[in-house]
Amino acid sequence: MWYRSASFILDKQQEERDAVARPESRLLSPTSPISSMAETLQNPNPNPKISAYYQTRAAHHAVVTSDWLAQAQAAVGQHPDDLPPESPSVDSGKPFSVIDEFNNWRKQPDLAEAVAAIRALASVIRSSEATTMMELEIELKKASDSLKSWDTTSISLTAGCDLFMRYVTRTSALEYEDFNSAKSRLIERAEKFGEISYKARKIIAMLSQEFIFDGCTILVHGFSRVVLEVLKTAAENRKLFRVLCTEGRPDRTGLRLSNELAKLDVPVKLLIDSAVAYSMDEVDMVFVGADGVVESGGIINMMGTYQIALVAHSMNKPVYVAAESYKFARLYPLDQKDMAPALRPIDFGVPIPSKVEVETSARDYTPPQYLTLLFTDLGVLTPSVVSDELIQLYL
Amino acid sequence: MPGVEELVNDFFAKLENCKVEGSHATARSTAELLRSVISQQRVPSNIQAEALIEAVKVVGEKLTAANPVELAVGNVVRRVLHIIREEDLLLVTSDLGGLNLSVGSDDKDAAEMDNNHVAAAAASRNLLHRPSLHTLLGNMHNSACQNSFDADKNLRSRKLKHNIIEAVNELIEEIDTCREQIAEQAVEHIHQNEVILTLGRSRTVLEFLTAAKQKKRSFRVFVAEGAPRYQGHVLAKELVQRGVQSTLVTDSAVFAMISQVNMVIVGAHAVMANGGVIAPVGLRMVALAARNYAVPFVVVAGIHKLCPLYPHNPEILLNDMRSPSELAEFGEFSNGMDYGIGSGAPLIHVINPAFDYVPPELVSLFITDIGGHGPSYMYRLIADYYSTDDLV
Repeated sequence: MWYRSASFILDKQQEERDAVARPESRLLSPTSPISSMAETLQNPNPNPKISAYYQTRAAHHAVVTSDWLAQAQAAVGQHPDDLPPESPSVDSGKPFSVIDEFNNWRKQPDLAEAVAAIRALASVIRSSEATTMMELEIELKKASDSLKSWDTTSISLTAGCDLFMRYVTRTSALEYEDFNSAKSRLIERAEKFGEISYKARKIIAMLSQEFIFDGCTILVHGFSRVVLEVLKTAAENRKLFRVLCTEGRPDRTGLRLSNELAKLDVPVKLLIDSAVAYSMDEVDMVFVGADGVVESGGIINMMGTYQIALVAHSMNKPVYVAAESYKFARLYPLDQKDMAPALRPIDFGVPIPSKVEVETSARDYTPPQYLTLLFTDLGVLTPSVVSDELIQLYL
Repeated sequence: MPGVEELVNDFFAKLENCKVEGSHATARSTAELLRSVISQQRVPSNIQAEALIEAVKVVGEKLTAANPVELAVGNVVRRVLHIIREEDLLLVTSDLGGLNLSVGSDDKDAAEMDNNHVAAAAASRNLLHRPSLHTLLGNMHNSACQNSFDADKNLRSRKLKHNIIEAVNELIEEIDTCREQIAEQAVEHIHQNEVILTLGRSRTVLEFLTAAKQKKRSFRVFVAEGAPRYQGHVLAKELVQRGVQSTLVTDSAVFAMISQVNMVIVGAHAVMANGGVIAPVGLRMVALAARNYAVPFVVVAGIHKLCPLYPHNPEILLNDMRSPSELAEFGEFSNGMDYGIGSGAPLIHVINPAFDYVPPELVSLFITDIGGHGPSYMYRLIADYYSTDDLV
């Protein structure tokens, strides 16, 4: 893992040399398989080093400052003359691109990543010219792979694609004689999945109601639509509680969340990220969402979640996670750096000298021993149940 | 049915007035009551299972409302519901299987039957178990298969009731023999020259230790007296009768004595889905002391004590506040009651909670009638013994 090596000086020099010598290749994702080369050539991820997933989340939920915008523009337009030449041998007559489709869906702020992915795959089926199940499956596999490689950092995207592919292979094993009816059934299922996702949030909100008692103080971190739904439902049921909300640098998603909560007339107090330990003794429980739930039962979530879980654990406060079941992923990180890096630009407000490094990772991993319970649409689970679920699915 | 109504009301009254002591007796009585309810319930032959489930649910809700702290009632009701659903499912699949053999006429028909059978069995199995990732996308098959069911329902005979009653009888027997089954595992856990600590009096623990003694294991027991009922005194006497050397200590002395102890063995009132334990008051301190000195904290409990609910405020909601007269004579504090009368409330309160909640991190092992498991394994047992539809 080169990005962890102590010989960072050598690596930096290597990087600079690479940047000078082959500017075009930097833009191509180095791990994309040959088959989806065509796709990625057409839709290069403008900045594979910067996680598109976290960019989108910031766009939806964060306070977008003009500085950030300017920085983002600069980052995208950095190598204007380095766009790869359109490879003439590739048949770019195919107007449909699953990645475009996915991006269109993803722009809607209320839509979960996995749902956007599955809808994109459904549109692949719709526009496919395959005549047998095998052909369709192969097309879908290609599309799913290209989606996954376009943004390697989004766990819900990967999990959603895998779930749908699993379903497709299982369906084809059943008795559908007529290919068209099988096709339409798959499309119907994919559309239904959006409903399932929406219902999932409602189920989770219902399950967690009992754990919020009158007079409790809840600490939340990051902007999770599921956690917002939980708190909304509690407020509608006239529960008396107050919320401590962390700012969530660098996206400052906490500001947006506190706005939403203030609209619901829930007493909110904003904390800077460093004030969590200071306020932890008045907290009764911690509520977080998850970008992904991994095999060990731990979660991957916005940077800062691990810190909060550690503090809560040391003060014996329960940490509850609200996550839909399609976020379960087949990953097993052994430590913080054991995941694909997801980087985000951080705006400090003042110019930083270029020799100062900045830790720009957008997410961290919280091991299962710091979590108390997970609220999912499959029910209330302890972290040890997660691996059981995943085994059942992928056996 | 007048007979059954009377029985139910009788039991309801007993539960309300706490005349039935202990989860074992409660579980047994509930199971017997539900057996009578089922056997005397007249069911229309085309929706047998649903009618039975409804009847049992109605009785169950009434009984759990009588004494919400007595979780064994709810556990047994859910077990019986699970039994009904399972027996129904078994009959359906075996019927369809039987049909396959007898109706061998048209090839197309047989193929359809086969597929329906497989899909139906799969769908019904999914209905019983909690929703999983596996069924997330595929759950909509059920509605299609239900239609093929209706024609076959008439074929299911009185066999259903008969099977259910047999299964409930097995359940009652399981409740009766749970202590024996747990005691059989005693020799695996108690070796030579052990020092064991327990608190209060649990009949399961008594049988457990007796079985070890009978198999010629040498051990001594520290018995914490278990204020305010002082049942520990009774246990100490019983142990002495069986030839076990016992030492009686106060609850407050547990921390002082625990460094000399090899193992803590206690009973439980109920075991929750996350592995937490509702145990007699004082056991949380013992668990903390055990954790502090790295002494294994072993809980012995029958499967009928396993509750599929997650505790969200167990210290208050699942606690039984008993009469303060167990703590202090009324005369002792009657003077104290005069103070604060001007503001309307006496200044002295005497509270007597009966239970403690021990979180799963403090428990090392659960010994149940089906073997020893860690606290994180409880969810598996729940999936085996209860159906999700009954978990509301």
